[in-house]
Amino acid sequence: MSCHVMEAQERPRDKKLKILLMGNPNVGKSVVFSKLTGLQVVSSNYAGTTVDYTLGNITFSNKEGVLIDVPGTYSLEATSEAERVAVALLEEGADLIICVLDATHLERNLDLALKLQEYPIPIVYSLNLLDVAERQGIKIDVEKLSEELGSPVIPTVAIKNKGLMELMRTAMKLSQEKKEPGPKLEDEERWKRIKEIVDKVQIQVDKELTFIEKLENWTIQPWPGIPIALLVLIASLGVVVGGGKALRAAILLPLVRQVIMPLLNKIVSLVIPAGILRNVLVGEFGIFVIGIEWPFALILPYVFLFYLVFSFLEDSGYLPRIGVLADGILRRIGIQGGNIIPIMLGYGCAVPAIIGTRAATTYKERIMVASLVSFAVPCASQSGAFFALLGDKSILALIFVYLLSILAMLTVGKIVNKVIPGKSQPMLLEVPNLLLPDKDALKKKLKIRMKHFLIDAEGPMLIGIVIAAIVAETGILNEISKLIAPFVEGWLGMPKETSLSLLLGIIRRELAVLPLLEMNLTTLQLITGAIVALFYLPCLSVFGVLVKEFSLKVALFIGLITTTSAFLLGGLFNQIGSIILGFVG
Amino acid sequence: MPLAEGRKLSIYRIEDLPDSHLLKVLGIRKGTQFIIQSKQPFKGPIVVKVGNRSIAIDYDIAKKIEVEEVA
Ligand SMILES: Nc1nc2c(ncn2[C@@H]2O[C@H](COP(=O)(O)OP(=O)(O)OP(=O)(O)O)[C@@H](O)[C@H]2O)c(=O)[nH]1
Ligand SMILES: [Mg+2]
Repeated sequence: MSCHVMEAQERPRDKKLKILLMGNPNVGKSVVFSKLTGLQVVSSNYAGTTVDYTLGNITFSNKEGVLIDVPGTYSLEATSEAERVAVALLEEGADLIICVLDATHLERNLDLALKLQEYPIPIVYSLNLLDVAERQGIKIDVEKLSEELGSPVIPTVAIKNKGLMELMRTAMKLSQEKKEPGPKLEDEERWKRIKEIVDKVQIQVDKELTFIEKLENWTIQPWPGIPIALLVLIASLGVVVGGGKALRAAILLPLVRQVIMPLLNKIVSLVIPAGILRNVLVGEFGIFVIGIEWPFALILPYVFLFYLVFSFLEDSGYLPRIGVLADGILRRIGIQGGNIIPIMLGYGCAVPAIIGTRAATTYKERIMVASLVSFAVPCASQSGAFFALLGDKSILALIFVYLLSILAMLTVGKIVNKVIPGKSQPMLLEVPNLLLPDKDALKKKLKIRMKHFLIDAEGPMLIGIVIAAIVAETGILNEISKLIAPFVEGWLGMPKETSLSLLLGIIRRELAVLPLLEMNLTTLQLITGAIVALFYLPCLSVFGVLVKEFSLKVALFIGLITTTSAFLLGGLFNQIGSIILGFVG
Repeated sequence: MPLAEGRKLSIYRIEDLPDSHLLKVLGIRKGTQFIIQSKQPFKGPIVVKVGNRSIAIDYDIAKKIEVEEVA
């Protein structure tokens, strides 16, 4: 009996192929993964988007397989969490590796490419980002490279779906073959070999600098990089705040208030007699107001525009450049510049921001970013609520609240930096190419994020709705209000109905703000309310993620500190404000 | 001379550097030639250009990298 038959028996027909998708950070693995599996995973133009692995099923010419999107690594020495995951997956064994190479940085990519050959797993290389390489005047001889590597190399432009069919075809064919493990090379030998290969296969044509290349250079110089960064921030704010306001005023609010709500009111009035149940549905804080008007008319436009702008910046490769520019200042509060990305993401939602710190940072830095974001960064939903509350009445108050949040961040950063032992990781990163974001990729990402928002927002919102409707309509709220009135009225100077804000604010951050809309507050009360809401408890989902990523103790601690500061700062503001107003008036 | 003291747009070669895994895989090794692309205020990172790759190196690390100017 020949060995071949044995082998065929070892690998039964119906067994799913296991395919590892590997490569350096930020080379397009997740794009390849989404295109091949049809699953949607988040990809961004900076290292460390994928920190855990994702599985997806693929079928190609009747063969089934599992594709695994492995986190990007520069090497396999298990010095970071991502590398540990990658090594563990490799040791488990697989039928095939698809190794994605960045054609614009071939030399650096070949390090991992050669390392992978030491495993007894067949490899097919995907030479990706060829469109960008061409723009930069880099020419690579694919056939020669394939010869040098001793494995097939498929040219691809993943984002445009180019070459992926060919990649799959080759992958499926190769997965049936056996491979002997390659020789282990010492570092020096491998680097020499890499240099040889690059000299043989790559030509750099001198081209005149394109505008993008000039921009790439400008954006990492203090001048004009810092002014450019400020312009980008201002423009982004303009789009989110201005655009959101326009969307809200021109389309969503009229639609909800003049069409949808009256319609619902009518239907409910027809079907349900006046009384508690009707109030629970369409009353002032009824289910339809909290469940439809608030999330869709007031919050959604801002969340949508925030993610539109943020995703665009993310895919353009611009964000790490802000990190480089800001590193000098951020390091004074113990945070490496790169962490400005999760902090900015926190202005969208704290949950992905906290998860995003997993990538490359130390435990200390993770706690720092998590506390900053939970403490003082208003999420997009809460910002939407602030705009609704303060935007029309007092722009100055709005600006004041945001300046206060930045001041609080710096203070908290300084304190936490002192309290928590450990070090922040020094910056050492490859600045990604600037790319014009791909429309389809952007659309897809926006869709995922909006879906998350709708699920995350509507789920807890339902809980909030039920609680609010019940406590408000049954009189329980009145009792609670009376109970905490001395504190709310005396110390915070707010009307006692504010207790509803405090109650709902536990569930979601914007719910701490929105009930204030209906209360006819003075400017002093508006700002006090906004301050309390800003620093108040992080929402339930954030609490959950804090427990999961750190521990219950950390989550409780952060919750306690934020809430105490909320009441302390809000109260102080009210007391001092009253005194000043007393003098002026 | 430490890299941290290098001048923008000058070309240097690395003489000696701390043993760091990430530095190595990013291609910052003994003998590597590069140009300083930018320096940042407040002791921010030094951005060096190795071939066509820009790499941002923390100021404190840059203090420990010995370089020599290449004519
Ligand atoms: N122009 C161009 N852009 C691409 C191509 N492939 C991927 N990209 C972009 O490159 C960036 C990085 O892609 P990802 O798929 O997130 O990279 P990754 O390898 O998964 O990165 P990590 O998960 O961080 O390791 C994204 O902004 C993609 O849109 C390509 O062939 N051409
Ligand atoms: Mg990825």
